[in-house]
Amino acid sequence: MLRVVERRMVERSQVQSQLSEDLSSPDDIPRLRQLKDTEILKSAWEEWNANKKLVEELTPFLQDPDETMRKLAEEDNIRISESLARILSETFPSLLVPRSSAADLPGALLELKSGVGGIESSLFLATLLRMYERFASLNKWKVNSLSHNTNDGGGIKDVILEVKGEGAYDTLRWESGVHRVQRVPVTESGGRVHTSTVSAIVLPLLDEGDVRKEQLYSMDEVKLEVMRARGAGGQHVNKTESAIRLTHIPTGITVSMQDERSQHQNKRRAFQVLSARLMDQKITREIAERRAARNSLVKSADRSEKIRTYNYAQERVTDHRIGLSIMNLSSVLDGDALLDITNALKQDHAQRVMEEMLAGEGDATDL
Amino acid sequence: MSIASLLGSQPFSDLNFRVRPPVLIPRPETEEWVVKLSQLLSPSKLAVSRPLSLLDLGTGTGCIPILLCHIWAKGGVRAHGIDISSDAVQLANENAVSCGLSPDQFNAVRANFLSPEFLSSLSHHLAPPFDIVTSNPPYISWDEYLRLPASVVRHEDPKALFGGPSGLEFYRAIAWLCSREGFLSPRALVALEIGCNQAAAVQDIMQAAGFATEVWRDAWGKERTIIARRPFV
Repeated sequence: MLRVVERRMVERSQVQSQLSEDLSSPDDIPRLRQLKDTEILKSAWEEWNANKKLVEELTPFLQDPDETMRKLAEEDNIRISESLARILSETFPSLLVPRSSAADLPGALLELKSGVGGIESSLFLATLLRMYERFASLNKWKVNSLSHNTNDGGGIKDVILEVKGEGAYDTLRWESGVHRVQRVPVTESGGRVHTSTVSAIVLPLLDEGDVRKEQLYSMDEVKLEVMRARGAGGQHVNKTESAIRLTHIPTGITVSMQDERSQHQNKRRAFQVLSARLMDQKITREIAERRAARNSLVKSADRSEKIRTYNYAQERVTDHRIGLSIMNLSSVLDGDALLDITNALKQDHAQRVMEEMLAGEGDATDL
Repeated sequence: MSIASLLGSQPFSDLNFRVRPPVLIPRPETEEWVVKLSQLLSPSKLAVSRPLSLLDLGTGTGCIPILLCHIWAKGGVRAHGIDISSDAVQLANENAVSCGLSPDQFNAVRANFLSPEFLSSLSHHLAPPFDIVTSNPPYISWDEYLRLPASVVRHEDPKALFGGPSGLEFYRAIAWLCSREGFLSPRALVALEIGCNQAAAVQDIMQAAGFATEVWRDAWGKERTIIARRPFV
């Protein structure tokens, strides 16, 4: 890894030397941007080098005949080694891993669907919904419900939330997958523990401007239907029929929206969800291509994979991807401890990207 | 009773309009063609240096001109609405305020455009020529009126619905007005909402008054809007 950092630093000084004197050349703009991007890495590198030098200077004192002196040197040595270890294990990886483009997205769409377990699954969906709403408010994200279908027997059949705020997608995307609950349902009279599931899908949310830039679809590919006939319509009828259905013909994705009283609002939201789904497909495709190119063995995230278990009897939440168990179920459901899980997942991801990158760069140096 | 009158408001594109019986509740069909009109033409596309002048005949809640003022750049359009009902005039002016428009951008006044004195009664604030004339005039015929659902008949003003024996009276009046010398600017556009099955009749009326017409369908597949312009000379 140090070799990689060192090479980055050489690149940086090369770029710096290429800068024209009065900064007037148009080529300077990308160079300056690159310099700015690597600035934090440079200061981390300098800190690393300074610390290393300190260790070298300290080494003779560790054998100093004077006991007080030796003790001081040992203490310093411990402190410096700690800081070196920290730079190596945390600072460098976090700086070397390319900033995910996901971090710049304005937000996420979080879709929850009840799965196995009937009403119990719907009831648990309501619990998860509350957890995500609290989690969002802890993170100061704005939540807006786009679509909400309640279950006749209680609970919620499915829901789509719009979560807006810095890092919302970057954090929530690890929530995609099947969430499993093990508890005695309120509807169960025999006191038996049931296992039910809710599936979560997190999609990237784009600005309307970005949607145009990305050209995810063209209007000719989208079939728009209003869902109910209005008879004569116009002045003859004053009942609102605002439900809308979009079909993206090439992919067969359909989106229905009926929660708003205005057809225009439903249309806008339906297009928002469509864009998010298409963007998600695009990101997944890009990741797959990159993986194929690198011939990497990193396991892809499968939507149908069971990612987490909420066990009420044991007050335990386990994330199966990283084997992390938290023995405080209520704190997770209140959103607080969920942060620990998402942080761990993020770190795990960063580490994997790092390994992948080191493997890649290692090959390059071997050649 | 419709949800809109129970709640006292009806969303219309990004705006929310106050509604109050007996004023006509904005319909989704109207919302749709007004949004389409706003995209078709805008003050910047028409490339005029002065603000556009818009007149809405039978403005009701004011939904058509207020939405257009809202979508088009500020100051790009000066809109006027007239209505025979003082309830409607008051509601339209309230809606303009709650949608953040200044009286400079939109104001509604009471007037009867069927009256022969209508043109001479126009004050200097509301002087022709107009660049855009919009209207969702009453278009329900005598026969149809008797078969309307109760929610419409009981809570909405017959004056906003009933368009004479054939449902076409107001289109004749509008065609007559628009063909007066100096009422429209040379490249003006007239957009009229119509009832289902009235497209042919209203096109005839407008074409007889010297306009070229086109028909827009609504999302439900019904012919809903007539766009009329002077043919290019």
